[in-house]
Amino acid sequence: MSVVALSELLGATVRDATGSVRGRVREIAVEPQDHPTRIAFLIVKTADGERILPVTALKTAGVTVRAHTDVSGWDKYTPSDGVLLLKRDLLDQQIIDVHGRKVVRVNDVELQTTPVNSHIMLDVVSVDVGARGAIRRLSKGLVPQFTLRALLERIPPRVIPWQFVDLLETDPARRVKLKIAYRGLAQLHPADIADIVEDLPPAQREAVFETIDEEVAAETLEELDPDVKVAIVESLDKDRVADIVREMDPDAAADLLGDLPEEQSGEILQEMEPEERQEVTQLLEFGEHTAAGRMTTEFIAVAEHGTVDDAIEALKRFEGSREALATIYLTGSGQKLTGAVTLVRIATSSLATPLSQISEPYIACAPDTPEEEVAALFDKYNLITLPVVDEHDRLAGIITADDVITMLRHRG
Amino acid sequence: MKFLPRQWRIRLMLALAVVGPGFITANVDNDAGGIATYSVAGAQFGYSLLWSMVPITLALVIIQEMSSRMGAVTGKGLSDLIREEFGLRATFLLMIALFVTNFFNIVAEFAGVASSFQLFGIPKFVVVPLSALIVWAVVVHGTYSVVEKVFLSASAFYVAYIVSGVLAHPDWRAAALSTVTRPESAGFRNYGYLSMIIGLAGTTIAPWMQFYLQASIVEKGVTAKQYNASRLDVIIGCVFAAVVAWFIVVACAATLHSIGKYDIETGADAAMALRPLAGEWAYLLFAAGLFNASLFAASILPISTAYAVCEGLGLESGLDKRFDEAPAFYWLYTALIVFGAGVVLVPRFPLFRVMVMSQVANGILLPFVLIFVLLLINDRELMGKYTNSRWYNVVSWFTVGTMIALTIAMLAAQARG
Repeated sequence: MSVVALSELLGATVRDATGSVRGRVREIAVEPQDHPTRIAFLIVKTADGERILPVTALKTAGVTVRAHTDVSGWDKYTPSDGVLLLKRDLLDQQIIDVHGRKVVRVNDVELQTTPVNSHIMLDVVSVDVGARGAIRRLSKGLVPQFTLRALLERIPPRVIPWQFVDLLETDPARRVKLKIAYRGLAQLHPADIADIVEDLPPAQREAVFETIDEEVAAETLEELDPDVKVAIVESLDKDRVADIVREMDPDAAADLLGDLPEEQSGEILQEMEPEERQEVTQLLEFGEHTAAGRMTTEFIAVAEHGTVDDAIEALKRFEGSREALATIYLTGSGQKLTGAVTLVRIATSSLATPLSQISEPYIACAPDTPEEEVAALFDKYNLITLPVVDEHDRLAGIITADDVITMLRHRG
Repeated sequence: MKFLPRQWRIRLMLALAVVGPGFITANVDNDAGGIATYSVAGAQFGYSLLWSMVPITLALVIIQEMSSRMGAVTGKGLSDLIREEFGLRATFLLMIALFVTNFFNIVAEFAGVASSFQLFGIPKFVVVPLSALIVWAVVVHGTYSVVEKVFLSASAFYVAYIVSGVLAHPDWRAAALSTVTRPESAGFRNYGYLSMIIGLAGTTIAPWMQFYLQASIVEKGVTAKQYNASRLDVIIGCVFAAVVAWFIVVACAATLHSIGKYDIETGADAAMALRPLAGEWAYLLFAAGLFNASLFAASILPISTAYAVCEGLGLESGLDKRFDEAPAFYWLYTALIVFGAGVVLVPRFPLFRVMVMSQVANGILLPFVLIFVLLLINDRELMGKYTNSRWYNVVSWFTVGTMIALTIAMLAAQARG
């Protein structure tokens, strides 16, 4: 087993079974439909046009490539969408480094050769994004091979293992053929995905959002810079946007729709379930910089005469965001806010305890409270959540600390 | 704006939303070197070179338009595209050349800052470090939209040159006529006249502009759909920059040329010579304009160079990154400012020589950059339906060819001394 760099293979002379030079390596191809990492064939530029040299016909692959078949047996190459060409699609292009959580540019690709029976196998093992790959390519042909190898050994490698690489491809059909699904990317925290997406050019952003799971897309969208968010939503098709918005929390959805042109936000609203549409429309009507504009309508409220057991049941059923879980609100007749119980009290009390017994004094604010005052309340009372009540003391929604932090950061 | 119909208002807002990159880039182009060249052209040849403003502006528009279109369609910077399409080696060589060239340009800008304040008797040891600090702070602490507003205000300050042109009481009729009439062919046999035309063209179209303009279009998030407004931005910017240049030539023609004072070399010389001829105000505005222009260009060049080089070579870049995340980026940026400003502080610093050097370096690099731009913009895989149309290609290759020929002629002239 040994490792050879793509840049060493490109341009290497190719000898056929007779031992005479037949051409030079022009491209190296993977067929992701058959095998995700295995090299399927080399494209060799011969005197008689571009020919396909299958890897199963290779004896060695290095500075010279030796085949054990004759040049007459190599098929003519015709371009196809379904093959990944390492030079064209990878070398010098941007990729997502899932492990390092950033967008990087490929300086070289490392391939591993493994002997099997009479031929060899070639596999992509990693991409080089550091100085070693860059220097290898810059000095290729200018410095003798062994001097270069000795020099490169001294440079610490910066490589990304192939399983942590997500390719960027803007053509949806080709994405399917090359099996690019951004699985690695989708496993990151939405905030990290958002950072990566912000570093990409618009077409690639769109590609990511067309491909990843709606739920992940929804959470990522919430984390994006407003300008980028709007640009992405405007570039995606209507159905896809509706699917993504359906996965969002109502406050986030209202935020997003508030940033979009009226015509487009109307279209998206039409696609929503009636109940959710109503919630979002209500949120949209409040000013963006008020308590109501910042609140979410997904919170836990339990009847005031309930017990800890009821509260735990409500917790189990709750589907909203985790930030809203810190406090359980007690409501009396007509949704009137009457008390608040912290999660800690629930965890430390027996199941039969009436909630009214462990209820604590609470602070609430009106829907039109300016966001500065909301922040001041959080600061003064060290809040994690703050209920918003209307003029009849009815619980309309809650504001969570993470929303306040976001708000403060964006104001600066 | 209530008096406008709704549709017009929307259209105007859309247009304003993308105004900026093109306008700023064209104006930064009237930097210390540009002002010097225009002043010398006016002082030596009076109104007789004004005709060249029209073709030079057209060339500027054509070249800038391609850069901004490429930015809007691909969403990528020029150095990114060169790297992706032409590989590491070409990019590496180009980036070294860009770095060196822009370094000379930065030195020339700080020299402009120094000389403008020397007019007021303020020593360069105070002004240059202070300016370097301002440059550094604006860029590091400002967001894109804040920086853009600062830059747009700086662009508006170029009006100073228009005012000082008016104060010089030129012969408007003669100036207007020589702008639109075909030049006499006799002039072209004059070596000095010819090399002045080359100098004017060379100072107007510089390699760094292509990188800067495309990058700011991308950063602003202009898309292919908004592109029409962006094109307008480029055209308005180029025309405004040309009008400013025209007034500089006219101011010097009306005063220095008419009394036979031809021997100026820099913008500061021109300001000084204007004083007894056009009055205190014209002098002050001319000097203040020089400071503004130099500082403006000095703010843009280091950051745009650091971005272009890092992106081309695949190094981490961006002001949103910490120093240890993007060391190369911050080192490049800091080095360009510190050494660019530092060199100017060297005693008996040959200011004029550096300005000439920066023009020569620009001249050597320009053909390569323009050819890359033309090859990229005609790449159908990259640009889709936004490649150049056939007639546009004819015009742009002709423009680029002429620019290259003029630059080679300029270099040959420089070599002969």
